[in-house]
Amino acid sequence: MLLIQVIVGGLLLGAIYALFSSGLTLIWGMMNFINFAHGEFVMLGMYVSLLVVVWLGGGPAAFGFTAAFALFVLGVVVYLSLIRFVLRGPMLSQILSTFGLALLLRYTAFWIFSANFVSLPQTSLSGTINIAGVLMPVPQLVAGVIAVMLTFGLHLLLTKTTVGSQLLAVSEDRGAAMLMGIKPDRMQALAWGLSAGAAGIAGALMAIAYPWSPSVGETFGLTAFVVVALGGFGSVPGALFAGLIIGLIQGLSAFWFGPIYKDIVVYALFVALLWLRPQGLMGKA
Amino acid sequence: MKKTPAFNPTVLLAAALLIYPLIFSGAFYLDIGVTFLLAAISASAWNIVGGYAGQVSVGHAMFFGLGAYAPLLCYTLFGWAPIVGMPFGMALSVALAVLIGIPTFRLTGHYFSMATIAVAELIRIYFGTWDLVGAAIGLQGPATARGWWDLTFRSELPYYYIFLAVLAFLLGLTFMIERRRFGYYLRAIKAGERAARSLGVPVQQTKIKALALSAAFTSVAGSLYSIKTGFIDPESGFGILVSVQMVIIAALGGAGRLFGPLVGALILIPLQTATNTWFGGGGTGLTFILYGGIIVLIARYEPGGLFDLWEHVRPRRWRRKHAA
Amino acid sequence: MKRFRLPAAVVVATALVLYASGLSGAAETVKIGIIWPLTGNAAAAGQASKAAAEVAADIINNAHPELGDLPLAKTAGLPNMGGAKLELVFDDHQGNPSLAQQLATRLITQDKVNVLMGAYQSSCSFTATAVAERYGVPFMVGESAAGNITGRGFKWVFRGTPIASDYARTYMRFFSEMKKQGKKIDSIAVVNENTDYGTSVADAIVDEAKKGSIPVAARIPYSASSTDVSAQVLQLKEKNPDVVIFISYTADSILYMKTMKNLDYKPPMVIGDDTGFSDPSFIPAVADVAQGAMNRSAWAIGKPGSTTYKINEMYKAKTGRDLDDTSARNMQSFFALADAINRAGSTDPEKIREALAQTDLKPEQLMMGYQGVKFDNTGQNILAATYLIQLQDKKYELVWPESAAITKLEWPMAGWKK
Repeated sequence: MLLIQVIVGGLLLGAIYALFSSGLTLIWGMMNFINFAHGEFVMLGMYVSLLVVVWLGGGPAAFGFTAAFALFVLGVVVYLSLIRFVLRGPMLSQILSTFGLALLLRYTAFWIFSANFVSLPQTSLSGTINIAGVLMPVPQLVAGVIAVMLTFGLHLLLTKTTVGSQLLAVSEDRGAAMLMGIKPDRMQALAWGLSAGAAGIAGALMAIAYPWSPSVGETFGLTAFVVVALGGFGSVPGALFAGLIIGLIQGLSAFWFGPIYKDIVVYALFVALLWLRPQGLMGKA
Repeated sequence: MKKTPAFNPTVLLAAALLIYPLIFSGAFYLDIGVTFLLAAISASAWNIVGGYAGQVSVGHAMFFGLGAYAPLLCYTLFGWAPIVGMPFGMALSVALAVLIGIPTFRLTGHYFSMATIAVAELIRIYFGTWDLVGAAIGLQGPATARGWWDLTFRSELPYYYIFLAVLAFLLGLTFMIERRRFGYYLRAIKAGERAARSLGVPVQQTKIKALALSAAFTSVAGSLYSIKTGFIDPESGFGILVSVQMVIIAALGGAGRLFGPLVGALILIPLQTATNTWFGGGGTGLTFILYGGIIVLIARYEPGGLFDLWEHVRPRRWRRKHAA
Repeated sequence: MKRFRLPAAVVVATALVLYASGLSGAAETVKIGIIWPLTGNAAAAGQASKAAAEVAADIINNAHPELGDLPLAKTAGLPNMGGAKLELVFDDHQGNPSLAQQLATRLITQDKVNVLMGAYQSSCSFTATAVAERYGVPFMVGESAAGNITGRGFKWVFRGTPIASDYARTYMRFFSEMKKQGKKIDSIAVVNENTDYGTSVADAIVDEAKKGSIPVAARIPYSASSTDVSAQVLQLKEKNPDVVIFISYTADSILYMKTMKNLDYKPPMVIGDDTGFSDPSFIPAVADVAQGAMNRSAWAIGKPGSTTYKINEMYKAKTGRDLDDTSARNMQSFFALADAINRAGSTDPEKIREALAQTDLKPEQLMMGYQGVKFDNTGQNILAATYLIQLQDKKYELVWPESAAITKLEWPMAGWKK
């Protein structure tokens, strides 16, 4: 009985992992580029939510959209001002660029918001639902379900819409896409916007259910790497499955071995994946 | 750089470093000097694999931490003089380097970078739970020296000269590497792996060797740190800020240049000390915002750091003098 | 111009003599160097303690006859030193032990402080005290918990606050009394955040529990920056101990109480080891779900009109918050330090050290609920003690020891049920 509780909790959290990791995998698939500041995008989404609630008194819908939009803009700006230039540069530039960005965002957040953990004041989503003996806190439940829907939505966007196929075209063959009249630069900026926006909404969803501080970006970033490695770089469906699996593994590890070990298990899994199957479940290496 | 001997910058630099403690003999200034040397050693060690070979490790703290724990562990468990632990730290670091290098160097550079963060974090968290190494509380060194071999000095002056010797050795080694085939391989790899491979460069092997060498010396830096400070815990050994500092110092001065890390340290360590003392309360937040900003600027505008910046800013005179 | 040389020289010489005599004759200042985390993770605690130290300095430097027997309150400055004032020099070590080492060196060699205080995180206390020991400067540790800060055979290090083993013993004494009163305590669980603070206290509790033959059903270390603690709570639910002791910081303490309500888990009793449970944001956040949770504190604000109440008012005027236990313990250590300097009657380090070693403050001279301040030969205050308090309605009330209790202990705790 308790075990089922752990499993459900893990899957719900994993759904949110899936959502923000899908953005990371999109960028990787398109540009062969890893965004080391991705976790910080999630963290910013959480703070944007806080600001919306505190300043404007908005509810989950309000801050969800605001976080998505704000981070979308940030993603595009980051691409246009920074990423675009380092893509053709040496590896050092590429890695330093987003790594430095991560530090910048993280410590600016520390400076503005302090290191204290914060959480959203109680929203309309509160309480716990009891389904067949399994207790599910409403915020976690709502966050998890919406996360799955959004990840699936992103997948549909990519595969079923014109814009989506343009994005995929650029990622598959840049030259051919250009010949078709698609502007890769614009598509890449869009991809960055979507990636950051997804991270932002994921942050807003997490903010509904969990407390946070500026330091959470680091852990989320690493978690995203693991999810993307497991799911396959470039594959959004892969990210969905991998996210759920990682959430599950984390929950079970915490319950069986102790909470301290949950991150160790996840990172060790990552290293093992690099050794054994770097291309993950469903992607291209 | 071939200039007339009297004005040879290297000689001047060496002289300045040698006489620094005699001029700035206060304990505080000595500590700054020692901190500077440690930073220069770690960053120069990172430089071998990160600067010359272009394999950007952002988790080098794992080697630093292993090197830092080994001496104090030997002291705590067996009562040995801490310095005896240094070779163990080096051996562990080299083993870890090979373990990480083999799978990740086959893939593109990003995998390696991600792996370095993940492994460093993994070790940091694990050490925080492991009672043998003091778990979260950490380990201490001898409070008072039992003999000269404990290297627990009241004044920091001996540390200064020991560290200076180590730095000189490391830079000398790097200089030799630069001139030989290994250095050529490293540069070829950095310029383009596929091309390098087609030229017959044993890419995979070279990368692993570079990482192992870098790891060994980073480990030495860690050992020196824990012997001097007399204390180590998971955060000060394996924390991400340890890795960040190495990278930024090397990148700021000029990654892939012999004196790049040293120049970076010359600028950053005094700067850091200044922000610590002036702002008093504004410390951590501002220092790392500054670091982040500097790294982004370097990445965007001048990946070659200050050395490259210097070249771009003073092209003609410099080029004429150093046409080689 | 030659005519002016001799008179000028005389004027200058006289001025110098007067100035020099002014220096030695009139009141000196005593410089106290304080190294705390003013930024970084522990910044809130560091800043709160800084405010507390400033209030204490104000009490000592100015006449406060309304504070009764509190040492040095009645007079302005240090009476045995001609009214010398205390000057505080603060430095921020940012939680970095190497930086703490450097700052201690600077305070001693550049700023020429007479004594040092610090450093909150045990890692920083380890390195900073080593510097003080090397230079022969007295160092007062106000609040770091790790046992062997005072266990290294150092002569110059003193600690005014109780340590992990003191707390552990207090809990065990409490449990054996409760058992005698018929309460069921067949097993306990210890849930600790896993930095040096949580680990030290948890280790001490587990040790003492073993000595007192109370089985520890679960020992659950976790990272204070966890966003989700349901796994821990489910583990506890499975093991079902009679008492759960939490050694946590603020965010995680609040998270635990809320998660326990969500997962419908209520042990008979919860004890929080200060820190998170004492943070001002704890009660407002969890009062409705954590009724009856216990906490420890050596500090009680007391009734209006009492010395402690007045001190709290001074602190509140400065910061807008009530004085918390950690800052109060620092303040008490500060008073003990100032008292020793006063008894030494000089800034000579050896005299101050001797005075510290001979400290013997009685309970009525203290602001804390200690049994006194007296340092053993390792520098540890052996009379340090703590109360146990309980969250009843919207406040913590003193419930143990019974001799000091204000209200009756409610056992089992009500939690979220009325």
